[in-house]
Amino acid sequence: MNLKNKLIIIVILLFNITLYAQDGQLLSGTVLDANKIPIPGVNVIVKNATNGTTTDFDGNYQLKVKSGDVLQFSYIGFISKTITITNQKKLNISLLENANKLNEVVVVGYGSQKKSDITGSVSSIKAEEINAFPLLNAEQALQGRAAGVVVQSNNGGEPGAPVNIKIRGNTSINASSAPLIVVDGFVGASMPQASDIQSMEVLKDASAAAIYGSRGSNGVVLVTTKKGKSGKLSVEINSNYSVQNTSNRLDLLNADQFADYQTQIAINSTGNPNATYAQGPANTDWQDLLYRTGSTSNHQFSFSGGSDKINFYASANYFNQEGVVINSNFERITFLSNIEAQVTDKLKLGFNLFGSRGTKNGVPTQSTGETANGGGDDVISLMFRFMPDLGVQDANGLNTTSTIGDNIDNPYAIATEAINETKTDINRSNLYAQYDIVENLEFKTTLGYSTTNQTVGTFRPSTLIITAGGGTGGKASLSNLKRTNLLSENYLTYKTEIGKSKINLLAGYSYQKTTNERFSAGAQNFISDSFSFYNLGAGSVSVLPSSSFSDQEIQSQFGRVNYDYDDKYLLTATVRRDGASNFAANEKYAIFPSGAIGWKVSNEDFLKDNATISNLKLRGSYGVTGNQAIDAYESLASFSTLFTTIGGQTVGAVVPNQAANPNLKWESSYQTNIGLDLGLLKNKVTLSLDYYNIDTKDLLLEDKSQPTYLGFSTLASLRNIGQINNKGFEISLNTKNITNNDFSWSTDFNWSTNKNKVVSLINGLDVFYDASPGYFSVDRTHILREGEAVGLFYGYDYQGVYQGGTLPDGTATFAGAVAGDPLFTDVDGSKTISTDDQKIIGDPNPKWTMGITNNFSYKNFDLNIFFQGAYGGDIFNLTNVQLFNGDSNASTAVLNAWTPTNTDTNIPRVVANRGREISSRFVEDGSYIRLKNISLGYNLPTEFTEKLGLTNLRFTVSAQNLLTFTNYSGLDPEVSYFGNGGGDSASSNTSQGFDFGNYPTIKAFNLSLNVKF
Amino acid sequence: MKKYKYIFLLIGLSIVGCSDLEEEPIGLLAPEGFFQSTGDIQTAVNGAYGHMLHRNFMSREMSMSLMLRSDMVNLNKNVTNAERVQFNDIKLLADNANIAVYCPKCYQIIGAANQAIAGSELVSADVAVKNKIIAQAYFARAFVYYHLVRQFGDIPYLDKPVTDIQAASTMSKTPAAQVYLNIIEDLKFAKEWLPNTQTTRAIPAKSAASGYLAEVYLTIGEFQKSYDEAKDIISKESTYNLGLEADFQNLFDATKSAASKEPLFLLDFNGQSDGDQARNYQAAFTGIRNDAQYGYGGGWSVEVPALAVYTTWDSRDYRKAFSLDATAVFKGVTVDYTQFTNTSIGGYAAGDNSPHIAKFTRKAGPAAEGNGRTTKSDYIMMRYAEVLLIAAEALNEITPGTTEADGYINRVRARARNTAGVATTFPANVTTGLSKDAFRTLVLEERRLELAFEFKRWYDIARRKLGTTVFSASGLEGAKANFDPARDYLFPLPSNELVRNPNLLPQNPGY
Repeated sequence: MNLKNKLIIIVILLFNITLYAQDGQLLSGTVLDANKIPIPGVNVIVKNATNGTTTDFDGNYQLKVKSGDVLQFSYIGFISKTITITNQKKLNISLLENANKLNEVVVVGYGSQKKSDITGSVSSIKAEEINAFPLLNAEQALQGRAAGVVVQSNNGGEPGAPVNIKIRGNTSINASSAPLIVVDGFVGASMPQASDIQSMEVLKDASAAAIYGSRGSNGVVLVTTKKGKSGKLSVEINSNYSVQNTSNRLDLLNADQFADYQTQIAINSTGNPNATYAQGPANTDWQDLLYRTGSTSNHQFSFSGGSDKINFYASANYFNQEGVVINSNFERITFLSNIEAQVTDKLKLGFNLFGSRGTKNGVPTQSTGETANGGGDDVISLMFRFMPDLGVQDANGLNTTSTIGDNIDNPYAIATEAINETKTDINRSNLYAQYDIVENLEFKTTLGYSTTNQTVGTFRPSTLIITAGGGTGGKASLSNLKRTNLLSENYLTYKTEIGKSKINLLAGYSYQKTTNERFSAGAQNFISDSFSFYNLGAGSVSVLPSSSFSDQEIQSQFGRVNYDYDDKYLLTATVRRDGASNFAANEKYAIFPSGAIGWKVSNEDFLKDNATISNLKLRGSYGVTGNQAIDAYESLASFSTLFTTIGGQTVGAVVPNQAANPNLKWESSYQTNIGLDLGLLKNKVTLSLDYYNIDTKDLLLEDKSQPTYLGFSTLASLRNIGQINNKGFEISLNTKNITNNDFSWSTDFNWSTNKNKVVSLINGLDVFYDASPGYFSVDRTHILREGEAVGLFYGYDYQGVYQGGTLPDGTATFAGAVAGDPLFTDVDGSKTISTDDQKIIGDPNPKWTMGITNNFSYKNFDLNIFFQGAYGGDIFNLTNVQLFNGDSNASTAVLNAWTPTNTDTNIPRVVANRGREISSRFVEDGSYIRLKNISLGYNLPTEFTEKLGLTNLRFTVSAQNLLTFTNYSGLDPEVSYFGNGGGDSASSNTSQGFDFGNYPTIKAFNLSLNVKF
Repeated sequence: MKKYKYIFLLIGLSIVGCSDLEEEPIGLLAPEGFFQSTGDIQTAVNGAYGHMLHRNFMSREMSMSLMLRSDMVNLNKNVTNAERVQFNDIKLLADNANIAVYCPKCYQIIGAANQAIAGSELVSADVAVKNKIIAQAYFARAFVYYHLVRQFGDIPYLDKPVTDIQAASTMSKTPAAQVYLNIIEDLKFAKEWLPNTQTTRAIPAKSAASGYLAEVYLTIGEFQKSYDEAKDIISKESTYNLGLEADFQNLFDATKSAASKEPLFLLDFNGQSDGDQARNYQAAFTGIRNDAQYGYGGGWSVEVPALAVYTTWDSRDYRKAFSLDATAVFKGVTVDYTQFTNTSIGGYAAGDNSPHIAKFTRKAGPAAEGNGRTTKSDYIMMRYAEVLLIAAEALNEITPGTTEADGYINRVRARARNTAGVATTFPANVTTGLSKDAFRTLVLEERRLELAFEFKRWYDIARRKLGTTVFSASGLEGAKANFDPARDYLFPLPSNELVRNPNLLPQNPGY
């Protein structure tokens, strides 16, 4: 906006004021909120007359009135006030915020609605909850806050680790279960900073999510960032600092105990009672060496404000986390700016801008499972496994490597010498225009563009003998991913009232294109270890470079009808038609309809003035949403290139990769939701109940029923074959237990249960798969079986220690076992354990999850206590499989292993290698309840802040993960090992509940400061 | 106008994007239109070679299976992987995990070869020019079917790219005898069109096709044809630029083997890999655990010959010294094989106190990855010494006791007497006038030692039905009680393949 326009606005403002000052009795005053903060933009009208005004930036108004006039003061989110004028000249008003959540406006796809008018299942989380305690990332705010929403870090407390959100269970087998994230209307955006978020809405059922069509089946998270309010400029500074520690450590053998253990192994394996183990020279506690006290600092500066024509919000944020494992850290700087201008009466223009740079220095964790190096660069599992009788370096000053078990470098050397750096730049811009074509008909168009640029560099110096690749002078790689996302959306909304009917219509068109470009290159055998990955040319051996490109387009038409009769009967119908380039030739377009009805029972005459029931609404919805599980080009016949050398030279080579699959299509979820919203005692108690049933059909499964002799490189082809079902029940209960002037106490409770079931698989055949680290060399750890839940553990059923002599009924051992070896259920009755004796041994799916938050406030103090828990899910403790295997350090529990003189034990005799068998011995109950947060806040009284020239000054002390109640013996019940794809496979629905080598969950203590002026 | 300018603005913003949603992949290859030139045919043939470099084939799963199955290579007793134990202990199950991965890989090589042959028809060029290229694909196809038919007997046989998936998914097995006929036809085509020499032994020339023809005939007992074919090669030794490498050890020297005149066909690893594609695992599987001799932290001590392989091999034989590694270096100290598991000097408890295979480690050069993975070793699939031994073996079956047959073996032995440039007296020339049986035994023993650990031994055992002898108590690995001659000369077809296509039933007898 140029200077001239600004002047015009000012002139108009002045002119308006003088206009009203022309005749009669002049009334003036200020409108304040409960905190004595002026409210700009309050409508002040004289009832049954035509004159009125709005408050200015400082909440002031002036109006010509006469005695007996009735003035109404109203503002969105506040309870309106009416005052009859006598003959005063000054009238100051304070408006109270409308605490009735039913009048809250909730953001829905392509619009917003009053919460009371919602017919679908939507959870809403507001800024106050998001900022109740310091978060490492915005996704965390959903954990335990919204019924049916599960949030999990990809990798425990790793700085910068991505976070997975899952809504209402696993709706797929192979496709992602991650919800669609929409930030300020930008579909597929990355999450902004938590402190920039005004609200998050989780669209859970088809009625709410079907407007997002083929991307809606996992639910949708709508994020709205903060906007400026017209009125006084507000500046806010948030600063917090926290210290972090591991919440738990494992009890492992020290050097002497380890030597005794290995001696016993030598005796057991040779049968020679005089066998010895040559103890190493050191006594190293690798956990002590690798863990440290971590810290997080998070500083945010924002300012916002506006006039009646323009408003803005802008912020800058700096986040830095030093992880609890040495040399792991994450640093991020983020900028956000939202500007909106009312250009004419009819035209509004806005611009959102987001930019961030994140730098993650990681230590290798979650064993990538390279069979080749025995999971050899995974510092977390190595610090448990590595021999305690070796130091960091040997007598020759070389890094030690393990002399028992797999050949591995010591974890300290890897953590301090290996480099894994990820730099991510994200930029997003979104320009929108909103135009009132005629009254009640509005057109909105948005044009957005975002880019993500990510560089990953790795380096292994020559001093890492095993992980650097055979001591060949180190190796380095650099790879880059560039992703762009172009989005154009255009839609019309029309509102009308006919008699008692209110109708809202929406119709729109959307086009989105995403592209991915990748390249990577590497080299090894460097002349020096000093180059890191920034001089690949200095490596005398180059590693195969690679690059790829893909793009995907989706164009859609969508529409919605909201119909409300007499504020009692609600109806919502939506439809979206998606066409996507990645859909196969015969299935380019898909239609996703949904419908929902609601009945506001409490607005019926028989309940209207009921003292107890202040709100009662019944809701029901049915609809279809989709999951775009098909990658670009996946349905096309293709050749693939192959790395080939002939005569020492790399040559071009192609092979048949796959046949065309012209019928490949999206996965569809058929969702039913039945819900009830109840408010009691003037909504002091609000309760929402939801039941849902989701049938996901046409699941893309890898069809391996095609013979492998056909000669294609891709042995499994995708087919829309599978079906799974999720059923669940959710409760949200919010109570205002005490509301006094000085003291208030409220409780938010949510509980949800989900039961999933595999309905059909290819030819009804079980699907086995392995999610253990590659070096385990295990074939199967999990099963998918019709009629059972998704992702059950599969293995041998442990029956204790074989005491020698006759086998107990129904049990057997592996061939050649002796007394002290493990005993298993003999499933096939063959008297010897073989793969035929494997069975289902555990279920990682929790029976229910819950969250409970208690908020107390007393005068200027407030206290937030937040518990979160899950019950009934099993954990497979893969860490213990290794720590009881014999070829590494061990849990101190091995001191109680079976010996001829210690037979009353559940731990088999020690041997050199137990073969890492997958058995129920390592399956544990993963139930837990955890004090996720406790925080105490203090707002400096207004009289002090005013003296300081501040609006608000707040201190908070808080602690996260302070207490955990669980029987799980491992480090932490929130486990996150996803198999040998490492963190990349974290979106897997089918390999949950494994614990191995993930970054430890942290316990944190925070101090934060919030200043507003 | 004032109003319209906003309309223009809105239109400008909203007009983005309208697409037919057709995919146009860049960086991927669509089959349509790929075959344009003879160069494209060669690229498709290269795909067949490329698949041969995958770990599932000769680098790891299949070669491991063949080695463990023989009497020359044992499985380290601490290794428990079922698929390896089953091969070593001769108690194969039809769901063996090695077979389950290398069988499909074999058919991928065949699929690539079929694609090259079919694709050549789309290229307009002189037939002779095209045949010269696709002759390589005929060779590759025959080479792999020859492995499969020896292991499994009757197998599904495809000689065209699959277009009708339904039909191909329900086909029946082709009898082994017919598969052999097809292999012979392919090799004859290859021999006809391949040139006398190629720029590298990683690409087959006439000699490779001819050598395999000789071996195929030997396998099916067509001794006259086998002899004729071998003799044909020997007579063209200089035409084909063949010969015996003067120093046996150079054959396994990664810097020399590819340039040697001796190989007829080899798989050429150059120390680079793309994951398991072209990653060479032999040094890792055969190398001594914790051994510092070769710089990469030692191998994994998985495929280790029985001690008797070492003790029964005459120590005067230069080939023994090169084929086996009887010492390792732990923490700078050279130790002998009895100390390989001595942890107090740096040995590895779960290793094996037995000399290890040296052919893939001693002269393999540095490894690009830990534990000896991805060296530059070349795997020689057939070399001229074998051609001589084939000629000798076949001739003995036709006419026992010839000096010609003796001469072929003596050539191989004479080379073995050249110990790194110094002539020795061992092994001596063969005693002349041996009986047919004695000579047959001698030539098989010569093959066992000369071609030790070159993936040949199991095929010799199966071809000559030696199981009851070599797996008896007097065998190198002691009694292998599970061995059943009615069952064990063939492997089971992958059980899941029989589920996917029941028309492949019955399974091989005994499984």
